[in-house]
Amino acid sequence: MTFFFVGIALILAGGLAAALFRRQPALADRAFGVLVAGGCALGLVPAVGALAGRDVAGILFAMPMPGGPWAFGIDGLSAFFLLIVFGVGLASAIYGLAYLAVEREGGHRPVATSHLLMAVVLAALALVVTSRAVVPFLMAWESMAVLAYFLVVFESEKAGVRRAGLVYLIATHTGTLALFAMFAFWGRFAETLSFDALAAGAASLPAGGALVLWLALVGFGLKAGLVPLHFWLPEAHASAPSHVSAIMSGVVIKMGIYGLLRVVSLLGAPPAWWGWLVLIGGVLSGVLGVVWALAQHDLKRLLAYHSVENIGIILLGLGVGALGVSYHLPVVAALGFAGAILHTLNHALFKSLLFLGAGAVYRATGTRAIDRLGGLARRMPLTWVAFLVGSVAIVGLPPLNGFVSEWVVYQALLRSGAAAGGALRLAVLGVAGLALIGALALACFAKVDGIVFLGHPRSAEAGQAREVGKVMLGPMFALALACGVIGLVPVLVVQPAVTAGALVAGLAPDAIGAAGAEVLEAMAWIAFLSLALVALLALGWRAAAALRRRRSPVPGETWGCGYAEPTPRMQYTASSFATPLLASFGPVAGVRELRHGDAFETHPTELILDNVALPLWSLIQGFAARLRPIQQGRLWIYLVYLMAALLLLLLYLATSGGTISP
Amino acid sequence: MTWTSPVAFATLLVVAPLLPGVATKTRALLTGRRGPPVLQLYWDVGKLLRKGLVYSTTTTWLFRLAPVVVVATALLAASVIPLDGRGALVSFTGDLVAFAYLLALGRFMLVLGGLDTGSSFEGMGASREVTFSSFTEPALFLCFAGLTLATRGLSLTGMLGSPLAAAWPAAAPSLAMIGVSLFLVLLAEASRVPVDDPATHLELTMIHEVIVLDHSGPDFALILYASALKLALFGALLVGVLVPRARLPGPAAIAVLALGLLVVAVLVGIVESSMARLRLSRVPQFLIAASVLASLAVILLLMT
Repeated sequence: MTFFFVGIALILAGGLAAALFRRQPALADRAFGVLVAGGCALGLVPAVGALAGRDVAGILFAMPMPGGPWAFGIDGLSAFFLLIVFGVGLASAIYGLAYLAVEREGGHRPVATSHLLMAVVLAALALVVTSRAVVPFLMAWESMAVLAYFLVVFESEKAGVRRAGLVYLIATHTGTLALFAMFAFWGRFAETLSFDALAAGAASLPAGGALVLWLALVGFGLKAGLVPLHFWLPEAHASAPSHVSAIMSGVVIKMGIYGLLRVVSLLGAPPAWWGWLVLIGGVLSGVLGVVWALAQHDLKRLLAYHSVENIGIILLGLGVGALGVSYHLPVVAALGFAGAILHTLNHALFKSLLFLGAGAVYRATGTRAIDRLGGLARRMPLTWVAFLVGSVAIVGLPPLNGFVSEWVVYQALLRSGAAAGGALRLAVLGVAGLALIGALALACFAKVDGIVFLGHPRSAEAGQAREVGKVMLGPMFALALACGVIGLVPVLVVQPAVTAGALVAGLAPDAIGAAGAEVLEAMAWIAFLSLALVALLALGWRAAAALRRRRSPVPGETWGCGYAEPTPRMQYTASSFATPLLASFGPVAGVRELRHGDAFETHPTELILDNVALPLWSLIQGFAARLRPIQQGRLWIYLVYLMAALLLLLLYLATSGGTISP
Repeated sequence: MTWTSPVAFATLLVVAPLLPGVATKTRALLTGRRGPPVLQLYWDVGKLLRKGLVYSTTTTWLFRLAPVVVVATALLAASVIPLDGRGALVSFTGDLVAFAYLLALGRFMLVLGGLDTGSSFEGMGASREVTFSSFTEPALFLCFAGLTLATRGLSLTGMLGSPLAAAWPAAAPSLAMIGVSLFLVLLAEASRVPVDDPATHLELTMIHEVIVLDHSGPDFALILYASALKLALFGALLVGVLVPRARLPGPAAIAVLALGLLVVAVLVGIVESSMARLRLSRVPQFLIAASVLASLAVILLLMT
């Protein structure tokens, strides 16, 4: 753990350096980059060690702390999330240096503060996944959530950004409130507020911990973006600067998944209804998320909706894992959780890659509107390659990492169907949901890639785009490489994921026996198929290239049905591409179609935000307005309030017969 | 794996271009025409391989890579099907996911290749292709789920190999429904009537054909071969479900596969001659029927 804490200290020092040397940008950037990179590298050491099966000694603060002893530790589950925090965090922080550098010229936006906040958020994220007691966990959680707000509202002069930030802030506080309630209730049945004590007290929770599970689903579900608690997510992620979007979508929302997995591992076997609820919630999030993404023609908002979709896939795995625990099928339990954990890692990698790519497109063209782009493959060839890798990965296609984790989730679902009998076999229907999500995601990324990067530019901005610099491309290619390595050598991550899945399910690492060996054998075959695919493509490409040299191809016009002078405006647009799918799925998902004169648009309606969250918010505001008279803004009045509160407390103590010190 | 697996694999690769020919011939004969020779596709592929290439100036490297990906993914997808009725070249738990997703990769690149030309027509075809595959994919996986329930197998070899024969007597209605559902999926995936019409020559109405409008010469030969192979792949799955061959001697099993593929092609031809292509907005309903049938099969299996 020493490495871990030194790493955190270095990251924080990097943030401070960025803030202190704000007058010398070159020095500040260099110091920030070096210190954060060093800190993340150090932090990764114990995480990789824990994944490789080495024991990482935890740290226990012996001093009396509020809420019982504070402890920090890294187990297989924490290690996976640390990998995400430090890996994606490093890539995004470095990318952010170049992304924000242009903002310095304007001078009115707080660049240095943004770097500092980024460092603190990374440290807080790392502490969230290593805390082993409620108080430090909630402190880290709240720092992460609140500071992320300031990162999101970087462009605070825009009203839309401020609104998105406010909705995010309220949503995340509501979630934290649910977490406070959950831990407070749970704590009544435990000796202290350390996680070990909570686990020991879990057996005495009433109704199998139903209240705790509901509160966890609300608190962590809000953070993760589980439908219908996703309403804050798309705007917040789209409004933030791109490297912040990458952290938000790649890492911050994953803390909700971490929380759910941790609660399940502390609680023991959840009741079956909870597993079904999570499974169904996962399918809903997945399908609705991707349909909303299809209807979305703002590049970053589209990617944000895909986060809702991928959280759905993760929850599908988590749900079937929980069902495996409830129905006493260790194989399904371990594989379901392993699929969830693995997809969390993979989604962190490819989604941050895609957001960084979207940021590059935004920097190069100044627009996020998909229908104003086009032809960027020629103008930004490297960004295009990185973005294409991310697209193939997010659609879950071989030979990249998305395929591996979706395979594990499919495996858990199919194995629940192959079970001897009982209600669990129903879970096999989940494969249809996952297949639908996958096919729709393919449609959506065909749209994004095809309209943004291929064809002719649809606007002058797109036509003048230039490739971005090395500092932005480097992190993108590092993430793309990680996607490729996991795809080609899946056993590297699948074995630790199955071990971590078993840990969540409360099983010994080798409890799934023969099935575990089968999974590892399958990984070898998947590696074989992936390598065979790469080899076939390389051979085929060489043969085709040789043939092309001999045949000397003739350049020509695209076939326009005999029409002689096609213009870029005649190309298919994102809206037209998505229309046939939205004709079928749109009405179910509340997608509005706007047809006027010569144009046509589709918009996802924010059903929950507009119909539930905002009315509820104005209700609360109305109530709060009535409390306003007690705020007079004069010091002596507040002193009177203090006195009155103290008197009331003393009165309560006197009448209830309690004493001040125990 | 025995010697029969590679032989069956080779048979499939050789027989594949025959199937569209047989389907077209059947359709022609049933509608009172003579039709092109059954071997037409072999000649077409051979001729295209010797021809020159024209590339639109809009296109990039992706357009040139797409045909290679389409063929490579179809070949690898073929390697996980137990073509001889007992074992595939490559078989592992969950290989059915690899089968579907390899084909999806081929589709993704084909669609991007179409969009690379910047043509509205190809955009239209691309959009329709991904739309209809969104309906077939769940149906295909429901069929797999049904097979898992019926045979307890987790790989295509485990489902379509020896356990299948034992499962038939107990689960005949479900397996029959899965067969019908797979046939509907086949019609869509291989771009046949009533989803698509390979014989149409109006860009506005085409689906698969319109995506590949700009491919020429050897590139187009690869694409034609790959789409014939795709028909053969789904045909082989269908034959695998309907005719368990694990107990037949090796050569007979391969002969039955070839015969079964021809029967599938004739069936496709019969469907084509007996109905017209559906209106585009009706196609999803047709494809949802495939999912509904497969779900019924799954539910029946869950109740037993």
